[in-house]
This record gives sequence, structure tokens and C-alpha cells, in this order.
Amino acid sequence: MQQHPLVAILTRLGTFVLVMIALSVMIFVLARVVPGDPARMALGPAATQEQVDALRLQMGLDQPLAVQYLDYVGKALHGDLGMSLVSQRPVTADLKQTAPATVELVLVSVIFMFLVAIPVGVITAHYRDRALDHIGRILSLTGVTIPSFLFAITLQLLAARGLPGWPIIGRIDHSLGWPGGPTGFLILDGLLAGRFDVALNALQHLALPAFALSMAGIGQITRITRSSMIENQRKDHVLTLQSFGVPERVIIFRYLLKLSSIAPLTIMGLEFASLIGNAFVIEMVFAWGGFASYGLQAILQKDLNAVTAVVLVAGLFFIVANLIVDVLISIIDPRLRRKEAR
Amino acid sequence: MADMKMLDSSDRGLSTGYMMWYRFSRNPAAVAGSLILLSVVILAVFAPWLTPYPKHVGAVVDFRARHLPPDLAHWFGTDKAGRDIFSRTIFGLRVSLLLVIGVLGISVPVGTVLGLIAGYFGGWVERIVSGLTNVMLAMPPLVMALAVSNLLEPTLMNAMIAITLLWWTWHARLIYSVSKSIASEDYIEAARLAGAGPLHILFREILPNCVSVISVKTTLDAAFVILFGATLSFLGFGVKPPTPDLGSMVADGRQFMPDFWWEVLCPGAAVLYVTLGFNLLGDGLRDMFDVES
Repeated sequence: MQQHPLVAILTRLGTFVLVMIALSVMIFVLARVVPGDPARMALGPAATQEQVDALRLQMGLDQPLAVQYLDYVGKALHGDLGMSLVSQRPVTADLKQTAPATVELVLVSVIFMFLVAIPVGVITAHYRDRALDHIGRILSLTGVTIPSFLFAITLQLLAARGLPGWPIIGRIDHSLGWPGGPTGFLILDGLLAGRFDVALNALQHLALPAFALSMAGIGQITRITRSSMIENQRKDHVLTLQSFGVPERVIIFRYLLKLSSIAPLTIMGLEFASLIGNAFVIEMVFAWGGFASYGLQAILQKDLNAVTAVVLVAGLFFIVANLIVDVLISIIDPRLRRKEAR
Repeated sequence: MADMKMLDSSDRGLSTGYMMWYRFSRNPAAVAGSLILLSVVILAVFAPWLTPYPKHVGAVVDFRARHLPPDLAHWFGTDKAGRDIFSRTIFGLRVSLLLVIGVLGISVPVGTVLGLIAGYFGGWVERIVSGLTNVMLAMPPLVMALAVSNLLEPTLMNAMIAITLLWWTWHARLIYSVSKSIASEDYIEAARLAGAGPLHILFREILPNCVSVISVKTTLDAAFVILFGATLSFLGFGVKPPTPDLGSMVADGRQFMPDFWWEVLCPGAAVLYVTLGFNLLGDGLRDMFDVES
């Protein structure tokens, strides 16, 4: 059963490639077989039949589906995802412009999620069935049950009432006159250029949406961390440490926490799916203008190339996140390294 | 792995039903959750008789009563067309519950049967089911549901189909892992040696051991489906107006946000109330059956 971690990761990588292929076939077929002519939709009802036919030919819609798919994949591998019918620009250009905003939002949410959820999980496990545990339980239950749109809107409302002047929509104040930086991540660009006012302003804008986006994950991860800590407390090696008189604090932070962070990390990987989904809602509420907003527009306007690209990129994002999680777990979990050590 | 034993040996002598009821009644989360859900079902089923303004679910316009704050006549206030938000919220619960019944009514049986078969027989069924679930797991469900429902037509029915298409895989995966671990148990081998057919083994030997897992998963999933449906309709993929639907009511109210807050918070709180009910019940059931998540 035990594999070299590199082999394990390569196997996972292979599975992920298969998953991407299956996903692309699925969304591609779905986007082509649905009723409605994409060419007609792109040109609108005013266009003549000749114009529509010409565009059909140009888009390759007269070819068999398999040919269209292979053509699409071939181009996609060279970074050409077709033209967006709505923005009239290459989809890749649109993605490059919108993706950093979402990645920045999601990354900060994930960091925030761990900063809150892991300590709360550890504390509630330590004070099991006491007041702090019940408070933590209510917190995690709230995170899991509250609709993200309701939480986001409520945060906005509270900020508007309680923190006058705190930005509640957008990514940055346009009055700062920031032209945009090389990475597209506003905080990072601001820091790199030494414009700390820009970085601070972007961080202020980011705070509410990131908090709103992380709420569901905080609920899940707190729960998992708590139950994982409690489960591992009963393990023999922990009992051994306790009977050797190792201080409780050392046991918790040096041994238990490391062991108990495997389950939350795994859940985190799976949580990325709902994180990306919720980004659609959060970006809409906070007028964030990222990848998810772009996706929502594309879907609403039946912009086929853009929809296909958005679904594929969302899938890719999920896969990369899970790959990183796998690597992290194999670093943390010595049981996965056994072969290497021998 | 989950402990499949539902009763301790010390429980013998008392009827199973009584023991279940005893454990259930001693679990505050489960009781609170079921009370919430009971109230939701009663409100939804008898909405026409329980709401003060049942006519307001239609295209009623009363401009003198626009944007009234909550008071005794309108508990949740009124919306931009002067309609009673409380009445519309109660009717909106119907849509949410319908969504749960529609999605889980199809995806749970399908997922369970496929999971059982894949876990017990293995082979090509196992490969297909685990392959499909791997693909589905890589897909943010909301993105997929948005894409599918809009490529067809942005209606609740299509959203429901899209959600169902994804949801069965989660059940199949769970039941698959349980079924696979049970398939190697001695009593399954014994049943096979005694001449039991595959149908008997699948549905009379393995399935009863999955009941606790299925009920916990289904209850927690019901909360997810409701959140999901509300989110979809919030984003504009809901039922056609004027039919009330909690997510689209929140989206409508958002235009009037800081001033007429009740138009957002009241229907939103209704979603929270239902999902809380399902989550409490699910957590309670999990404690009762001693099933790990």
C-alpha cells in the first residue's frame, strides 16, 4: 500500500488530468447540444440568415462534435480559448484581467479561515462540553447554516451603519489613481511599488468580502478540527506522552495539532468547490468584478466560449488547490513518508 | 469507519423502536431540529389558511402600502409592490421544500442503489461510479448548476435537474464506501453460502446497515439543497415572478438595502431557519446513531 510520495503525487496528477479531460468533454458537449444556435445568439435577432451562416462556418459549428472538441482542446493548450461573444475579446484576455481579483479574494479567505478555525477547533476540543465549547459550536453551526448572500448583505449593512467611511463595494478607491500593477493582486502590487496607501486601501476593501466568503469554511473546519483533536487524544501515543508527564501544552501544540491538521486540510481541499461557488455570490454582493462576476455575466448572456472557459478554469482551480493540499499533507503526515525513510 | 451497530448489547430486551425514541428524545439538537422542521412543514402545507394575505403571492400591487416597516398588520413589513412579506415568505417555504423533495427524492435512491452495487460487486460498475464521482467532485456544484440551468433555460425546474445530476454522486460515493467495507464481513459471506441471491444481499443485508448513514447524510444534504436553491434564485435563476421564492425575494429587496432592511433580512432569516432545522436534526441523528461524518 505504501507508495513513495512522489509516485503518489504523480498518480494523483494523472487522475487529475483524466478528470480535466472528462470535465471538458462534459461541458463542451453540454454547451453544443443545448437548444439554440450560438451564432444566432451572438448576432441577435436582427442579423440576416447569411450573416448567421457565415459566423457558424467561422466558429466551426458545421463540423462534427468530435472534430470541434479536438480543435478546441488543441487551441486551448496553446492558450486560445476562443473569442468571447459578448466582450468581443479573446476569452484568455478576459480571464487574465478578472482572475487575479478572485484569486486574491479566495487566498485571503482561506488564510483567514485557518487563522480562525484551527484555534477555535483546538480550544473547543480542549474545553469539551464546557461553555467555550458551546460558544464554538454555535459559531460553527452559524457558519454552516447561514446563506452566504444573507451573511454578506448583513455585513454590508452593519458596516454601513457602524463604520462610516469603510468601503463596502469594489476593490479599491479610484481616487487613489492606481494604474494597476504587474500581478493584478492589488495588495501585493501596492507593496511591491512601495504604495502602502494602495495596499492598505485594497486590504480594507478586501476585509468584508473575505470574511463573508470564509464563514462557511470556518464552520466546517472548526468542526473537523475539534472532532479530529478529540479523536486523536484517545490514541495510544498521546497516552504515552501524558504518562511520561509531558506538559499538556506541548502535547497539544507539538503532537496533537500536527496530527489533527490532516483532516481539516483534506476538508479544505474539498471545500474549495463551495468556496468557488460562493465567490459568485460574494463578488456580486460586493461588486468585486473578478472571475466569478465574469462567469456569472457569461452564463446570463449564454456566452458559450466564456462559459466553457469559466467552468474549466473553476475545475482547474479546484484541482490545483487539492494538489497543493495533497503535498502539504504528505509533508505533515510522516506515515506517508515511511518508504523514503527506510 | 462508521460504527454500524445501532444498539448496544445492553439495550437488548427493549424494543428497537422504543430505544430509538428514547435516544431521540434525550438529544436536544435532534428535538429542536425536528420541532423547527415540523413548524416549517405545517406552515408550508397550510400556507393559504395560515397567512394573513394569501392573495399577495400573486401579482398584487398596492402602492399606498409600499415599503411599510414591520408592524402588527405586516409582521415582516411590505415590499416594493406593497405586498405582505410574511405571507410571501411562508409561501416561499413551499418552493424550498419542493426543491428538497425533488432533488433528494431522485438523487438519494439513485445514489444509494449505484453505491451499493459498486461497493458489493466491484468491477466495471465500481470503476464507472468512482470515475464519475471523481469528475463531479472536481466541479464546483454551484458553477455547474448555473451553467446547466442557464444553457437550458433559467428556471427552478432546470436548476433542480442540474442539482440532481450532481447530487447523486455524493450519495453514491458515501454508500459505496460503506457497502464496500460491509461486503467483506463474515455474515455477508454466510448469507451467500446459504444461497442468498445478490438482490437479497444488497437490499436485505447491506442496505439496512446503511440506513443510519443515509438518514444523517440526507438530512444534512437537505440543508445544503435549500441553501443552494436560495443561492441560485438569489443570483437570478429562480421561479418566475410573481411566485414568491426566498432567494429572489432577498435579491429584490437588496435594491432598497440600507433603508428597507426587512425586505432582505426577513426572507433571508427564513432560509436560515429551515437550514438550521435540518442541520440540528442531522447533527442530532449523527450523535444518536454514533455515525462519524
